Amino acid sequence: MRQERVLGYALVSPVALFLTALVAYPFLSAIYLSLTEKIVGYPAHFVGLKNYATLLESGRFRAVAWNSFVFTAASIAVKLVIGISMALALNNVVRANQFIRGILLLPWVIPTVVIALTWKWLMDLFRGLINVSLIDTGLISSGIHWLGDPTLAMASVVIANIWRGFPFFGVSFLAAMQTVPQDLYAAAEVDGAGAVEKFLHITLPSIKSVVAIVTLLSTIVTLNDFSIVFIMTRGGPGAATHVFATYSYELGIQSQRWGLAMAASLASLPLVALLIVGVVRYLHREEE
Amino acid sequence: MRGTTLARWTVLALILAVVFVPMFWIVVTSLKTGRQILMSESPYVPRPFTVDNYVYLFEESRFALWIRNSFVTATASTLLSLMIGAAGAYSLTRLRYPGRRTFGALVLVTYLVPPGLMFIPLYQTFIRIGYTDSLGTLILAYPTFLVPFVTWLLMGFFRSIPRELEEAALVDGATRVQALVRVVLPLAAPGLLAAGLFCFTLSWNEFLYALIFIGDDSPKTLPVGLSEFVVSDFAFWGQLMAAAALASLPVIVVYVYLHKYMVQGLTAGAVKG
Repeated sequence: MRQERVLGYALVSPVALFLTALVAYPFLSAIYLSLTEKIVGYPAHFVGLKNYATLLESGRFRAVAWNSFVFTAASIAVKLVIGISMALALNNVVRANQFIRGILLLPWVIPTVVIALTWKWLMDLFRGLINVSLIDTGLISSGIHWLGDPTLAMASVVIANIWRGFPFFGVSFLAAMQTVPQDLYAAAEVDGAGAVEKFLHITLPSIKSVVAIVTLLSTIVTLNDFSIVFIMTRGGPGAATHVFATYSYELGIQSQRWGLAMAASLASLPLVALLIVGVVRYLHREEE
Repeated sequence: MRGTTLARWTVLALILAVVFVPMFWIVVTSLKTGRQILMSESPYVPRPFTVDNYVYLFEESRFALWIRNSFVTATASTLLSLMIGAAGAYSLTRLRYPGRRTFGALVLVTYLVPPGLMFIPLYQTFIRIGYTDSLGTLILAYPTFLVPFVTWLLMGFFRSIPRELEEAALVDGATRVQALVRVVLPLAAPGLLAAGLFCFTLSWNEFLYALIFIGDDSPKTLPVGLSEFVVSDFAFWGQLMAAAALASLPVIVVYVYLHKYMVQGLTAGAVKG
């Protein structure tokens, strides 16, 4: 038994060392740095919660927090609707199921940078496919300013993000639906239940925990998404699509205001921590 | 019944169209001449089409170098993460010692910390130890999200391998390490393969860390190289879409051949269905 313990610690130590050095340490030092003021060329000095106070007072930061919320809530709501429709449409289709599912998952493996660039090009004012085809069919007479108008720009980054993420939702929900015993549906049919009733009373309760886990995971990632916004709009026009990660980039990498950048990075932490606790609890419940 | 069948295929057709159109636009644009793009001539199917954009990538841009850099980074960080993660997952599922449950939970927590929150803290750490601007930086940085992921995924796989097989090997006189190498690892091979493919895809596609941690020109990876094709609001869309198609190709090939394993991994580990 002593031998087992020694081997156990020995095998787990690389993970432990690695995560301590490159996750725990950076993270803890970030918390400390967010309490200091550091400008290049001068030593850092402790300023308490001043950076957080500065952020809360800044209109730009409040816009960023609101944008992150809108970006996340809109993306997830639509992904849930499309994901569940996709899973329902694919469920019990034996023929072609594998093939269609394979094609539908492609957006999930394509590099995010490619996705963001492609949508930027699709939405190009004069030559993008969307405006060109809308004008060709006579639906509009002049091009829509997708990435130039504040509201449309937010909608555009949300659309690109949905395109990237809904297949994962759909395939996860489908996997959950396929574990529901068929005789439950048969019994419900005998009792005269229609399609809607079967969905509400059998399907939905059975996939509830998978929906919850996928939603929580996606919320954590979407709240701190960088690539789509950075490539499509750089946070613009103005600050209309600026989100947490692009804002920390602006403060840290562009302005070199590290204390403030750390505080901005950590601003979503309380919410992220809550969501993480949610996922951990759900996964543990699933295991039991 | 006929109503639901119709609804089902309508939904599928719509979703397939939505997935298909952007990919179609990538390929179509990549085969257009500069003039066709600029003047919106034959926008839907280029006539005549050209492969000049692809030729340009290899002859007049650093595309080949970016591919090489991405390949080296993705392969090295995948192997590193698999080794560290497999040892950790085995230890956390098969061996008994104090603190093991707490540590397993901590690994899951680190798996959930998003890169968008970690990039500035991690960049500061690399600056402090004076190790930025090298592919090595990325090879060390990517396992910060790959190792927790591999560990978590493989814990699910190791749990599904019957303990009796391993115990039989121990009774026959094998040591723990021999039992791990000869019995457990071969049985966990599909899991290792799935984890490796995920890691490779995640590293190949990674953009944020590669953008921030590397300032020099030479060690740029593919996603960063692609993003810099767009200069302010002007872009060479033909060349860019050719590059986009080629950048997606390896992960699509990996996925088409092995998506069975990837979907298996998806349901067995990360997201339990």
